[in-house]
Amino acid sequence: MELERLVVVWCPELQQEGDRGEEARRFVQVVARTGELCPWAHPIRLGVCALPARGPARFFGGEEMVVSRLVEVVGEDAHVGVADGLFAAVLAARARLIVPAGEVRQFLAPWSVATLARPELAVTLQRLGVTTLGQFAALPSPHISDRFGADAAAAHLVARGESGELVGLRDRSIERRLRVARGEDPDLGSTPPPYQPGFFGGASAADTRAALSFARVQDRLGIEAVLLGRIRGGRDPAEQAALVPWGSREAGAARTGGAPWPGRLPAPSPTAVLRMPRRVEVVDAAGLALEVSGRGLLNGEPARLSVEGGPWQAVTAWAGPWPVTERWWAVRRRRARVQAVTADGVARLLCAERAQWWVEALYD
Amino acid sequence: MGGRRFLSVVYEHMFAFGQQEGTAPRSRELPIGLADRVRPTTPVSGRLLPVPAPLAPLFPDRALRRGTTTTVAGLPGHGATTLALALLAAASQAGSWCAAVGLPDPGVVAAAELGVDLRRVVFVPHPGSGWAEAAGDLLPGVDVVLVRPPGRARLTAARHLSARARERQAALVVLVEQANEWPEGGDLALSVGAIEWEGVGRGHGHLQGRRAEVRVSGRRSAGRPLECSLWLPAGSGVVAATREAREDGSAGAGPGEGPEAA
Repeated sequence: MELERLVVVWCPELQQEGDRGEEARRFVQVVARTGELCPWAHPIRLGVCALPARGPARFFGGEEMVVSRLVEVVGEDAHVGVADGLFAAVLAARARLIVPAGEVRQFLAPWSVATLARPELAVTLQRLGVTTLGQFAALPSPHISDRFGADAAAAHLVARGESGELVGLRDRSIERRLRVARGEDPDLGSTPPPYQPGFFGGASAADTRAALSFARVQDRLGIEAVLLGRIRGGRDPAEQAALVPWGSREAGAARTGGAPWPGRLPAPSPTAVLRMPRRVEVVDAAGLALEVSGRGLLNGEPARLSVEGGPWQAVTAWAGPWPVTERWWAVRRRRARVQAVTADGVARLLCAERAQWWVEALYD
Repeated sequence: MGGRRFLSVVYEHMFAFGQQEGTAPRSRELPIGLADRVRPTTPVSGRLLPVPAPLAPLFPDRALRRGTTTTVAGLPGHGATTLALALLAAASQAGSWCAAVGLPDPGVVAAAELGVDLRRVVFVPHPGSGWAEAAGDLLPGVDVVLVRPPGRARLTAARHLSARARERQAALVVLVEQANEWPEGGDLALSVGAIEWEGVGRGHGHLQGRRAEVRVSGRRSAGRPLECSLWLPAGSGVVAATREAREDGSAGAGPGEGPEAA
């Protein structure tokens, strides 16, 4: 698969948000200045924004020109790089390089497996003597998923230069954080009634007892083990809600309200939103793989599906496709969602990008 | 009723001063042994925890009884998770703390649509092999603990948790695929049988409601196995009774127009 060619602006000083939120406000300026120069500048996470390279390169007369103009305009000691796919483009920005088209795999080869930000995978691989992305990429694909799981398989595709997307690379809350930094309403919705505290303005006895038990679980399993659910604006099932550690500042300040966003799927919502979407094959009655066209339409009717190589199941009912209408950073990428019910009664939310389908959520 | 309820509020809050808002105590800051000695101070009237009205007929007391274990069983995709989360809705709205242990990717929006007050529910999605210990830690602190064991639970773990729920006067809800995965058997066993999705055809509509047959059995079902037809969930995301199960039979309860849907 051909990857989108991207320019990434990487601001090392703005990656961590301090107490006063200064970094987020400065990053808002970075995104704005980048956007003035080139359209479709898209924040990825704090301190990192990306834009498609092709158009600006034509306009300014080459990628070198785009990079030098951006460095001038953005300030903030920004590092700018160009490569195919988001993952490589971020590394290229860190190294201040323009990686020639089609040479991602060679570019990635010498980098450490630690750059995948999968500490457990990195440790396992290093024990096996695999320390660089090049060595990782050389491992045979069919074994990766069996041995290390779906997430590692996704990382493997990235190491091979066949995908630029890695879970965790994008901060899903970045748009919201920037709205906060701009002083806009982050939820664009109404405020829920405030929670009524105990008689003395503090926690009630029941709250104290509950807090005690949560702290015990945290002692046992770690701070991040006990989470509160928060609703926020968004269209993606995964974007509409967040789980934040109990007792964290975010949990204390967050709002539970949020207006329903136009374009989100109607209720009822799925009861399981998979953090790691599962690969699924979807075919029509003739057994041909189903695809989503550039206009978000299907080239046939789903008849059977197989989740992660499991048994084929007949699709008894389906609805959609709903096009994913957000400004996905790469303009040429089109995604669409389909709800599908199989013969065993299981309803799934599927998401497709061209011919690749994923199970995104389950209705249990 | 109102007076009693007021009293229970007074009792609960009487000795609550000294707690600063927003600073939750960490267990290591509390005197050693205190954590084991704190006890719920619930008056007798509070032995029942409310459930959403459409689910009340499933329970002998028309509510979750503190100290009991309820199993919720259903094959994947049949709505057992929806039913189990719905059991947290009314209790959390009434101010009870609830916990969900071992639901790996909880659908927070779905929980909110079911009526769960997210400010009163903590999720422990990945307890790993420590699921029983985590649930055991939570039972003294919250009113309803929903736990999904990673497979068939060991008899000792099941016995220990049920006993702890009884002793701490909390309600334990266990989510399993087959009722026998909980070796103790619950005081009450709910299982979702046949289901049918409505609202979705071949390329049109959207998932609107899942009609499900729910069967009740168990020690505390008073020997009256009961079957009930429910929307798990209805079109607005809440649980609702289907037309057949409604006593008045007046208004039609399609998936999008359950009693709570308006």
